[in-house]
Amino acid sequence: MKITVTIFLLTLICTAQNLFAQNEFSRQYNLALKFYDEGKFYDAVTECKRLIFFDADSQYTYCAYMLMGKSYKMGAKFSDAILNFTNAELNAKTSDEVFQSKIEIIRANILRRTTDRALQLLDELDDDKNFSSRTAGINYWRGWTYIFADKWKKAAVSFSKIDSCKQLEKLCRQVDDDKYSETFSYLISHFIPGAGQIYTGNYVSGILSLGWNVLWGYVTINSFAANRIFDGLIELNFLWLRFYNGNLQNAQKFAVYENQKIANKALYFLQFQYKGLKP
Amino acid sequence: MKKIFLLFIFFFTTGFPQAVKQNEINLFSPANIKKFADYLFCSNDYLRAALEYEKYFSLYPNDSVKFKIATAYSKIGDYDKSALMFDSFTKSSELFPYAKMEYFKSLFQEKNYFRLRSSILNIDSINNFRFAYQAKELYYYSYLFTIDTLPPESIYLAHFDKTDIRQIKNFYEWKTDPPHKSPLLAALLSAVIPGAGKFYVDQVADGITALVATASLGYLSYTDFKAGHYFRGWLFGGLAAGFYAGNIYGSAAAAQIYNVKIQFDFENSIGVFINAKNFFTPGINFCK
Repeated sequence: MKITVTIFLLTLICTAQNLFAQNEFSRQYNLALKFYDEGKFYDAVTECKRLIFFDADSQYTYCAYMLMGKSYKMGAKFSDAILNFTNAELNAKTSDEVFQSKIEIIRANILRRTTDRALQLLDELDDDKNFSSRTAGINYWRGWTYIFADKWKKAAVSFSKIDSCKQLEKLCRQVDDDKYSETFSYLISHFIPGAGQIYTGNYVSGILSLGWNVLWGYVTINSFAANRIFDGLIELNFLWLRFYNGNLQNAQKFAVYENQKIANKALYFLQFQYKGLKP
Repeated sequence: MKKIFLLFIFFFTTGFPQAVKQNEINLFSPANIKKFADYLFCSNDYLRAALEYEKYFSLYPNDSVKFKIATAYSKIGDYDKSALMFDSFTKSSELFPYAKMEYFKSLFQEKNYFRLRSSILNIDSINNFRFAYQAKELYYYSYLFTIDTLPPESIYLAHFDKTDIRQIKNFYEWKTDPPHKSPLLAALLSAVIPGAGKFYVDQVADGITALVATASLGYLSYTDFKAGHYFRGWLFGGLAAGFYAGNIYGSAAAAQIYNVKIQFDFENSIGVFINAKNFFTPGINFCK
């Protein structure tokens, strides 16, 4: 009886020790994770690389590549991040892991502003029957892709397909409404020089532009009227048309600039005040 | 029977996990650190490789690892560190001649030509230095990068390999007689004939434009004054004067830009050549 109890106790102790003994690779992954959490992304990448190099059975390869990708992303090295997320996708063992890695690739593409690639990947996910239950997630990132591509109307359409994204939809619609039409600003300046600048709220520039065009228009027409054709041609070419053309470019430039200000204000809000997931 | 069964359970539950554990590897053992460093080095991840090799080197110092650390630093452009490490090899080391050449290469890349030359002159004191010829090539090539007077052509070219002579000769001629344009002459030419300075610096289209614009505006100003149109006379006169003065200044600036451009092209060419030649350094391939 005594021997039986002794053997039983020994078994219990040794089994517990072995069961709770942490696997070396798991420890290594946690070390990398710790560096990542501490913002030491370079060290996190080093430890992930070490893990992948020694993990012959690829137990942690997927996780390590994902963590490496995230570390590179935090360092704004988006191309390296995408490379690692792609490696993670290649080492994914479940459809959930495939989806997660693909979404990370899309998010890095959004930040890298390679919009076409992000949209292409989102379309692929949309067409894949394995992910038919994840439409909301796909539309969510499609919306963000459009935001970063400065296509706020399309972003609003994408967010409108998700019930929980009404705030984002409203914001995108607001930005789209607030923006000036670059084409309209350019066109009205053809008819009334300076009108495009006034339309975008740049009154001084608009009036100055109108003044220059009136002055050189008058001088040019006056020359033609006095039969000084060569004078008129030179004034037309070097003065009036130069200011007229400058007025057109300026009108468009102001519209772009004002639109950038509106978009940046919205992006600032999204960066610092929006609480949901961001690229 | 009961005891046998319990013993079986004991050995199975304790022995099996132990066996698994034995297969576990210590990722931070010196051997594995070196293995990982070698992998990083051959994947061109030189900074990480250098840091890993340094960990190993602190436990097991040896010349081969030291050479790799220095090479890694050289690859990432930390020439100060690489030069220091390559210079620390003793003559007894098998890698000494290679390290010496890498040391010269680091000094060259650091643009420390003065130290490079004095160091290369010192190798004469080393008996039968294996790469003395290549070191001399590097010594003379460095003259192309400095403002120091070059040795006479025949002496200079005698130090280079025959296959490179033609290219080196071109560099030598460029260095001794660079095809620069004079900014003063360009400005003077444009003062005499508007646009002529631009022609001189090979900007023909700009030259024609300057000539036509200045002449047309000058002519208009003249005829306007003659016809009593003073506003237009002053207007075109002002524009003509602006074009004329701008062209003189522009011609001098164009000559300076021309000189900078050809200097840049020359430095680019000599840089490409020396890189292609690996700085006349033999090098060691650790990633075969």
